[in-house]
Amino acid sequence: MNQENLSKINSYLSFKLGEEEFAAHVGKVLNILEMTRITEVPKAPEYMKGVINLRGIVLPVIDTRIKFGMTPTEYTANTCIIVLDIEVDNETIQIGALVDAVQAVLEIDKNKVLPPPSIGSKYRSEFIEGVANIDEKFIMILNMDAVFSIEDVASLKTKTEETDITRSVEEVG
Amino acid sequence: MDNFKKKFIEEATDLMDGLERSLLELEENPNDQSIIQQVFRAMHTLKGNSGMFGFDKIDSFTHEMETIYDLIRNDKQQVTREILDLTLAAVDHLKVLLDEESFNEPSVQENHIRLLNKVRAIINGDKKDEKLHIEKPTQPIQSEENDLGNTFYVLFDPVSELFNNGTNPLFLLDELYSLGQVKVFAHLNKIPSLDKINPELCYTYWEAIVYTQDNVNSISDVFIFVEDEATIDIQKISGGNLLADDLFITELKKLEGVQNDIGITKIQKLAQQIQSSRVKDKIVAPGVKERVQSKETAISSIRVSADKLDMLMNLVSELVTTQARLTLFAENNVESGLMPIAENVQKLSRQLRDIAFSIVLIPIENMLTRFQRLVRDLSSELGKEVVFITEGADTELDKTIIESLADPLMHILRNSIDHGIEDAEERLKKGKPKQGKINLKAFYSGANVMIQISDDGAGIDPEIISQKAISKGIITADRKLTHREVLDLVFLPGFSTAKQVTDVSGRGVGMDVVKRKIADIRGEVEIESKFGFGTTITIKLPLTLSIIDGLLVKVDDTHYIIPLSVVDKIYAIEHEKIAKTFNNIVVLDGKQIPFFYIRREFEHTESTETYEQVIVVNFEEKSVGLIVDSVVGEYQAVLKPLGKHYKKQDMISGATILGDGTVALVMDTNKIIKLFANHEDFKIGDELNKE
Repeated sequence: MNQENLSKINSYLSFKLGEEEFAAHVGKVLNILEMTRITEVPKAPEYMKGVINLRGIVLPVIDTRIKFGMTPTEYTANTCIIVLDIEVDNETIQIGALVDAVQAVLEIDKNKVLPPPSIGSKYRSEFIEGVANIDEKFIMILNMDAVFSIEDVASLKTKTEETDITRSVEEVG
Repeated sequence: MDNFKKKFIEEATDLMDGLERSLLELEENPNDQSIIQQVFRAMHTLKGNSGMFGFDKIDSFTHEMETIYDLIRNDKQQVTREILDLTLAAVDHLKVLLDEESFNEPSVQENHIRLLNKVRAIINGDKKDEKLHIEKPTQPIQSEENDLGNTFYVLFDPVSELFNNGTNPLFLLDELYSLGQVKVFAHLNKIPSLDKINPELCYTYWEAIVYTQDNVNSISDVFIFVEDEATIDIQKISGGNLLADDLFITELKKLEGVQNDIGITKIQKLAQQIQSSRVKDKIVAPGVKERVQSKETAISSIRVSADKLDMLMNLVSELVTTQARLTLFAENNVESGLMPIAENVQKLSRQLRDIAFSIVLIPIENMLTRFQRLVRDLSSELGKEVVFITEGADTELDKTIIESLADPLMHILRNSIDHGIEDAEERLKKGKPKQGKINLKAFYSGANVMIQISDDGAGIDPEIISQKAISKGIITADRKLTHREVLDLVFLPGFSTAKQVTDVSGRGVGMDVVKRKIADIRGEVEIESKFGFGTTITIKLPLTLSIIDGLLVKVDDTHYIIPLSVVDKIYAIEHEKIAKTFNNIVVLDGKQIPFFYIRREFEHTESTETYEQVIVVNFEEKSVGLIVDSVVGEYQAVLKPLGKHYKKQDMISGATILGDGTVALVMDTNKIIKLFANHEDFKIGDELNKE
């Protein structure tokens, strides 16, 4: 599917990190996997959980919760790995994102997507494409390319909270 | 049509490369007839092909060039440096002409005319000399050849697919007839019965007796376009015209009736009979054999696109992975009786892997011509005399490695010629031979290929390097560096020691790029230099990039692969012994060996097992132990990249998928040991140096 057709689709996959709900455009999502054994790569930053075998491809898995400044994912029956296409340096690569639970595929009309709040947001605005209000709940639509870029940004929280998180990551890595 | 043109350009590029190689060889042995033949044949083929595909400029140009070499091969012209220079320049020009658009550029047109004039000057100049040449005493046989002509036996046995490229063998025979008197025997015995016949195949082969005033070359020229598609045998059977001999003709007619081929031996016997009878008539014709090029290149190689090879490699990789699963399954289900099958599959896939590998391996010879040319041109441009010696040109490497190796090597050679080798005057002053020497040596070393480039030039002055590093703020003035460390400075970005920045090298983008490019293909580069005596650069490369033989080990619940090529020995050791040491040294077989406890280094919990395994690996010609929980066994690891997110974890060179579907990580032991040795807790570097 080319870019133009993709942008016409209004489907989003929603998932949960803790109590909060996020969504990613379905064009980015390749696959949803059940939690499986992850081979840890030594000396890697904490959010880099390790690698798994995805039909013969070695797929890096990222702990999305740590990226968002939360505690590391605790594995439950609902824990999933979402396989995503990420664009890095004009090259499409695949990564797996650990999330607490996958919710649903939602149809969200473009008109109903509000711009991300510029002040008072918990998360850095470049990672949020918009906010949608579905059934009185706010769902944050994420820019997946930015969230999982290779850039060594550990936290997606705004500046004030970022400093102590970064420190904790430095200790780990 | 575009497709054909692409094919032509591919082939032409090959031909030109071969031509270049032959020309450089010819420079060494200017009188070697076989090389002259090679040059001529390459030109002739190039001419024919380019004419066929509408590259008229190349066609007409090669035609003129060919004339020169025709004169040379007929001994009417000597091979001179001037001719070789011109031909090499011409080959360069022809490469430009392959791009059809290029002729629109005035500079190319100018060059074309200039070269063409030079070529014509040589051809015409030669004509004037011809008289001189003829006065030289010629061999009696030759004079006889010219007077009476010769009779040749010709066997033309095309492969059955001859028609596929549009060749009509009858035209070739017609051409033979144009040379003189000819008697052709067509052999139809290979033709199958009508119901089995495939009209697109050629079942016929021919034998011919040819009498001509021309020499043997003119006959082989007839078949020049089909020499790869046919067995061709041309032999002189007698001087003079045997076909004019009644006895010979009657004998031949007797043979004609026989279904099978007449064969050179029978013909020769016949010729001898005739000759002996002819001796009485005082016409002496010694049966000198002139064996011409044969079928050596018949079907010994084929051309396959690189894409297909890549695909083949991928499939082999997948097969190896699947085979590992099969083996595991068979081991776990002994009663299934699968084990012998699994073992067989393992054996076969290993063989298949080795063959598939050897297909993508190509000898480094392929890029050496380019270097020879570079050394030749650059040294004459700089007014230096340099001989370039290559050893181990048949050493084979993965084609992708060779592709990425050409640029770095080019750069190293440029450096050697430009900065390393002194000019003749200075060399004589230093008591060195006038000619500088650059030696490129390639050889296997374990699972690696080493390429060594050494020159006997000025070497690197450590003083100048240190000063430069200090002035650039890379090191501080009070820092004392070892000789090795000083030399390693040249690999830092922005470091160029040439006093003068020439357009050849020395723009500051230098050895750091070389190092990075070689690191990209998992290679390493080292420099050694003796000031005043020369420099040696050693490049260490992996044989292949995609599958390695490894040792599968376990640490905690993670599997790791250690390349077998670095593994020396394996010992079992009590956990107690390791836990108690303070300096991380164990004594094994009476030798002190520094070790690293992988669990601790990779931040796993300490083991509770009583016994662990020490894998002794080679690290820069020393032994270092790596301690793991257990050894699982040998494993063929198909290397998969870890991806960009793990770029910084370079002590893991990749991952591989095990039979049970889990992922094992491939250790880069060199990087691991270097990393750990810098670790604060361990002063292993000192221990290593003491050894």
